[in-house]
Amino acid sequence: MKRRSLLKLGIGAAVVLGVAGAGVALMRPALVNGKFSTDVHALMRAVAEGVLDGLLPVDASARSARLSVQLAQLETTIAGLPAATRSELSQLLALLATGAGRFGLVGLTSDWASASAAEVREGLSAMGASSIGLRQQVYHALRDLNTLVFFNDPSSWALVGYPGPREIAV
Amino acid sequence: MSSPIPDPIKEGLARGWKVLGGGLGALPATLECDVVIVGSGAGAGITAELLAKAGLKLVIVEEGPLRSSSDFRQREAEAYSTLYQEAGARKTADQAMPVLQGRCVGGSTTVNWAGAFRTPGDTLDFWVERYGLNEASPAAMVPWFEQVERRLNISEWLTEPNPNNDALRRGALKLGIEAPNAKRNVKGCWNLGSCGLGCPTNAKQSMLVTTIPAALDLGATLLVQTRAEKLELAGNEVQALICQPVQLNGDAAGAPVRIKARHYVVAGGAINSPALLMRSGAPDPHKLLGRRTFLHPTVASSSVMPDPVKGWAGAPLSVFSDHFEHVSPIDGPISYKLEVAPVHPGFAMTNLGGLGPAMAARTQQFPHISIFIGLLRDGFHPEAGGGTVSLKSDGSPVLDYKLTDFLMDGARRAHLTMVELQFAAGAKTVRPAHEMARDYVSWKEAQEAIKTLPYQPYLTTVGSAHVMGGCNMAADSARGVVRPDGQHWQIANLSVHDGSLLPTSIGANPQVSIYSQAARVGTALAKRLSGKAVALA
Repeated sequence: MKRRSLLKLGIGAAVVLGVAGAGVALMRPALVNGKFSTDVHALMRAVAEGVLDGLLPVDASARSARLSVQLAQLETTIAGLPAATRSELSQLLALLATGAGRFGLVGLTSDWASASAAEVREGLSAMGASSIGLRQQVYHALRDLNTLVFFNDPSSWALVGYPGPREIAV
Repeated sequence: MSSPIPDPIKEGLARGWKVLGGGLGALPATLECDVVIVGSGAGAGITAELLAKAGLKLVIVEEGPLRSSSDFRQREAEAYSTLYQEAGARKTADQAMPVLQGRCVGGSTTVNWAGAFRTPGDTLDFWVERYGLNEASPAAMVPWFEQVERRLNISEWLTEPNPNNDALRRGALKLGIEAPNAKRNVKGCWNLGSCGLGCPTNAKQSMLVTTIPAALDLGATLLVQTRAEKLELAGNEVQALICQPVQLNGDAAGAPVRIKARHYVVAGGAINSPALLMRSGAPDPHKLLGRRTFLHPTVASSSVMPDPVKGWAGAPLSVFSDHFEHVSPIDGPISYKLEVAPVHPGFAMTNLGGLGPAMAARTQQFPHISIFIGLLRDGFHPEAGGGTVSLKSDGSPVLDYKLTDFLMDGARRAHLTMVELQFAAGAKTVRPAHEMARDYVSWKEAQEAIKTLPYQPYLTTVGSAHVMGGCNMAADSARGVVRPDGQHWQIANLSVHDGSLLPTSIGANPQVSIYSQAARVGTALAKRLSGKAVALA
């Protein structure tokens, strides 16, 4: 990871947060052959749970299965993005997967795998209300991507009372 | 699922249309033609039909895929990822505004909401006054509007508006504001409500089912999933267009194609067209290229109505109000057009903001949600001077667009207007799309809250589905990238024929403005290159 490309993403602001120095050294690729790395998978699962808390099944195994579908669809969606966007997102996720990035940007003390949905949600919420543009960008990137993927999936349509498209087949 | 609807694209391919790329046929290393047209959207489509009618040999180059009615399953996930620029994820440089723009055969006309408005007279007057565009005066444009309206079956939508649009009509009536029916470019519309996802019945008269098929029937060649990478320039002439075959996600897929033509028409849409000229090192002596790119920054307000709205069903845009475009001078405080937005689960839940529990509460109300939108008319005031296109290190474009205090003042006023109208229409609760807003139960409560909310980027939901400008036309080279006839001021055999021609935003959904300007400049170009007089309709 080169400092130059981080700055292009706008993560120059991360220097202000004091995370870039520590974060960059520890960053590992977020996407490997279009799939999340182990660290990033844990991060994205926690984020999905934080964004979608209250919308996911209550039953533990059903919840876990729904999250797995969400994670797979996130990977597919990201693979469909242009290379420049994939690369920016990959850098962002790699940074968030480091302890410094997680604490500096999201304000989360627990690591991703052990943070509760409520803790993650509070962290995300604080980012969304932040006066720092970078934190707001990160909030929207994570929140909007998860929301779009979740509600685009037909299995979520019943939640909103959407019957699906009107059939035109005979 | 078998569809009872005939697919004119599949039929055309079976008849022997020349379509290459994207798995439809191997691309040759070189091609020669009279005119190469970059893009297949509003400007490109109209131009293609006119030039094909003049007997010119055409190659049309489209970056996106060829998809048609039998592919259009009205699914958001499929539509956004295949039919939109950057898989639906295009945003301004600071990520504060998503930008919805088509990227498929037919361009944005394949996915727009079929609102067909003529360019407002005061917009055209402004172009005459500030850019010397006498050719585009309100009187001069009438015959072009008429031709476009005939060709694309544009007429007033007389079917009962869906409850989402009816809420706007009802609220406006109550407050004594004019909110007429919109015109739409449809033929035999099923009133499904899926315009934005690709019309599955071919009712919408987009470029996909009108001008592009007409050009292909006349022998044009269409390259799909092929990106116009660079124009080779020598002196004041284009020598060739270099194209790169691409996968759906834009990654390279095969060897480049070199296309040699007598004339080159750039119509890849605003943002993309100036970017192609930048990648090509086109002269830009007055530093105008890619500047003044406009978005109609759009804000939203959602309401919960007592009766079901089912905002996903029915023609998405059938009622509008221009009242607030005329309450102050065109170059005064920013004005806005009012419309409604379709309420599909992915699009609506994403744009209405919030996290888990807030979204869970909203899901319960979803079928009752009506969404109004306010489209800010940028480009007429120095503090609404638009954004600037630049290139990323891989050559792909990005638009830097600042949401100034001047624009955000308009966002606040548009929220106030929409909320008042929604309560007047009978809303139980209303929430302007702002991260810090709540569900307000009365106009008074909402009004007080909106006056104190911080109107800042990110906190305020702002998006765009209309991209205009960046290669504007003007009567002299100091004021424009191209001449009033679309011809580039510095390059002899290059024209621009798309939304990037527009010197300001429109103040209305821009498709008819782009069709009409393309008809005007395309008819003249056909005459110039072939000696033949042709007409769109």
